[in-house]
Amino acid sequence: MRKFNALFDAIDTFLRTPATVTDGRCHVRDAVDMKRIMITVMMALCPALLFGWWNVGYQHFVAVGEDVTFWSCFFYGFLKWLPLVIVTYVSGLAVEVLFAQIRKEEVAEGFFVTGFLIPMIMPPDVPLWIVAVATIFAVIFGKEVFGGTGYNFLNPALLARAFVFFAYPSVISGDNVWISNPPDAVSGATPLTLVMNGHAEAMPTTWELFVGGIPGCIGETCKIAILLGAAILLFTQVADWRIMIPVFAGGYVTAVVCQLTGLCPVAAHDQLLMGGFMFGAVFMATDPVTAAHTRTGKYIYGFLIGVFAILIRTLNKGYPEGMMLAILLMNIFAPLIDWCVVQRHIKLRQKRKRDLRFKT
Amino acid sequence: MNYVITKGLDLKLSGGAPDSRLAFVTPDTFFIRPSDFRWMTPKLHVQAGDRVHVGTPLFCDKKDERVVVVSPVMGTVREIVRGEKRVIEAVVIDRELDSDTVATVDFAEPANGQGIRKLLLQYGLWPCLRQRPFSVIPSPDVMPKSVFVPCFDSNPLAPDFCLLLRGKEVDFLSGLQMLKRAAGDVPIHLCMREGADNLLFEKAENVQRHYFSGPHPSGNVGTHIHLIDPLDKGETVWYVDPQEVARIGAFFREHRLGFANTVVLTGPAAAQTGCFTAVYGADLSDLLKEELGADKKRVISGSVLSGNKLDRFPVLGFHDRQITVIDEGGQRELIGWLLPGLRKWSLSRTFMAWLTPKRTYEVNTSLHGGRRAIMLTDVYDKVFPFDLMPLQLLKACEIKDIEQMEALGIYEVDDEDFALCELVCPSKTECQKIVREALWELAVSS
Repeated sequence: MRKFNALFDAIDTFLRTPATVTDGRCHVRDAVDMKRIMITVMMALCPALLFGWWNVGYQHFVAVGEDVTFWSCFFYGFLKWLPLVIVTYVSGLAVEVLFAQIRKEEVAEGFFVTGFLIPMIMPPDVPLWIVAVATIFAVIFGKEVFGGTGYNFLNPALLARAFVFFAYPSVISGDNVWISNPPDAVSGATPLTLVMNGHAEAMPTTWELFVGGIPGCIGETCKIAILLGAAILLFTQVADWRIMIPVFAGGYVTAVVCQLTGLCPVAAHDQLLMGGFMFGAVFMATDPVTAAHTRTGKYIYGFLIGVFAILIRTLNKGYPEGMMLAILLMNIFAPLIDWCVVQRHIKLRQKRKRDLRFKT
Repeated sequence: MNYVITKGLDLKLSGGAPDSRLAFVTPDTFFIRPSDFRWMTPKLHVQAGDRVHVGTPLFCDKKDERVVVVSPVMGTVREIVRGEKRVIEAVVIDRELDSDTVATVDFAEPANGQGIRKLLLQYGLWPCLRQRPFSVIPSPDVMPKSVFVPCFDSNPLAPDFCLLLRGKEVDFLSGLQMLKRAAGDVPIHLCMREGADNLLFEKAENVQRHYFSGPHPSGNVGTHIHLIDPLDKGETVWYVDPQEVARIGAFFREHRLGFANTVVLTGPAAAQTGCFTAVYGADLSDLLKEELGADKKRVISGSVLSGNKLDRFPVLGFHDRQITVIDEGGQRELIGWLLPGLRKWSLSRTFMAWLTPKRTYEVNTSLHGGRRAIMLTDVYDKVFPFDLMPLQLLKACEIKDIEQMEALGIYEVDDEDFALCELVCPSKTECQKIVREALWELAVSS
């Protein structure tokens, strides 16, 4: 049975808090642990998820022309989401447990959030086997090969999405993937694809963009729900505002520039509400492991994510979802940003010391 | 100068010591442990059966044989307790009945700093001094660039130094002057808490006064050194506890050699709180009978943030001024990660305890989770008042990258400065252990 130690331990500490006591110099500890942090993130995701269930059903029934109750929409979406999340968790956790067993470590909690995020950034009808392949790829090559949760430099959930995006573009881009089981004649283009294809006039209004009820990934459409999640993350201090706010700032500045120079006809505030910008800013960019680790670095990292997300959207018609690529790009640059900040800190510290010595 | 500490936190625990004295604790057995002195490799001066007096050298440091640790009582050496690889764990002394713990010694008044240092070394008072970096006993040949005397302690349930110094005021003041001469007339920094009862410390002459306000670690000597006279490679400062300053003062003023310290007994699980007086090495098993007997209690010498568990030798350490008793944790909670946690203490607001700020929190030794890789990157910054990067420094320490550690300011910190980081880390990282091991690496390589 020793072969399943990691699994037993994971289930055991999942059900009951561990019995370990402190043995270092600090004899009491903060009650928070990574499980609590992860569960808080999942709670923050719930408003967006609940809305997403309804929206998947709503989009479907509007497309087929049926007038059904709120609960029908809700359950339709729920039943679309359920297999996705089961497949994600089973495939991802299998890899996690396997690696934990090989390394003789405890199973880290990171995948709880990753597995929760992956279905929320997929279109509702994505084939389950693609989800499984993408998840396994992301967990192994995004995380485990670098040492597991906490050592990865790419956001695993986004890597899974990027994998689908580049390996199976037909299931995640274009006009016809964002509505579940659409009839042939109906086009369910997201606002982003509308703009990219030069149909800005068919765009939903700002209010519609804000409330949701438009085609898109399961979790990304309702900005109210996302803001609620952001409030939870910031209040509990699980996410760092030093990343989140600069993303919006960077995005807004770039969007205004794009609008003024005529690169993009969309109003700047609409840019922030379109697509996965807000979802990415709140739940993806703030992943502390893959973001910059220094305080100054976080401002730079966040700001550049905002800038690149809007730039990619505006300048490259082939990649409407600039947010995903912007975050992954900045994930790669985060260690470089940190390095520069640390070098500067070392120089400033020497200078401060010299000044203090001079004074005394 | 005034300094305001903004980053940090005060962990509020019940069980503070009332302003009352328990007793002078003079047990029959004393255990003198070389481990009280960081990184000391002892070389024995006595063997079992030897008679010792107050001030008889028991062992010296192999690195510098002038540095000796002396017996604090009169009696007979019962045995030398050795551990693995014959490491000396303790020298056990049976106290002679009705013997005094104070001795009167005869010496000619020292003419200069050199003379003072010689006497301090000879009578076992030199180990009262500690040096930063490394918090070790300083070398008698290396003069510091300044001396720090922290006049308050901001640790949870820490004693009020005015209480500890009661009756030793004159000794303290004359001890400061001796210290100044011994250190070669370098500045002496008295670091006081702003707004506290500093009457005694205000009387000191020829010293620089500094006032600190704000949460813990505003009373840590590391914080004081960092803000007043930061350390660089090759530099050293000394720091001395006020009670030990008074010890030195009494020695030179009245030729009185005694090692008694006033110690507070605190903590939510202590059967009786208060303060008592004892000399180092005193066997406390009688005093702490109830606490040590209960298997669900932990007795710590020092504070809960940065102390050592007392188990094998429940004795008073050389520098101890506080003993804390808390409940042993480890109770398993069903789906604890999901419960609201109204009585759980956390820096984050992930538990509902922020709804009821006035409640007392459950404090015990539970780790509250498993060890993980460091994931949240901002928690250390919230409680680390140094102008250093705690996370980057800790990582450099962990991989023993000496160049990077030096660049990031390792010489300015000690393990206790990372106590709060260890407290709040959700990944349950043992920050103090990592820093201490890195310091050891550094000390060995230099």
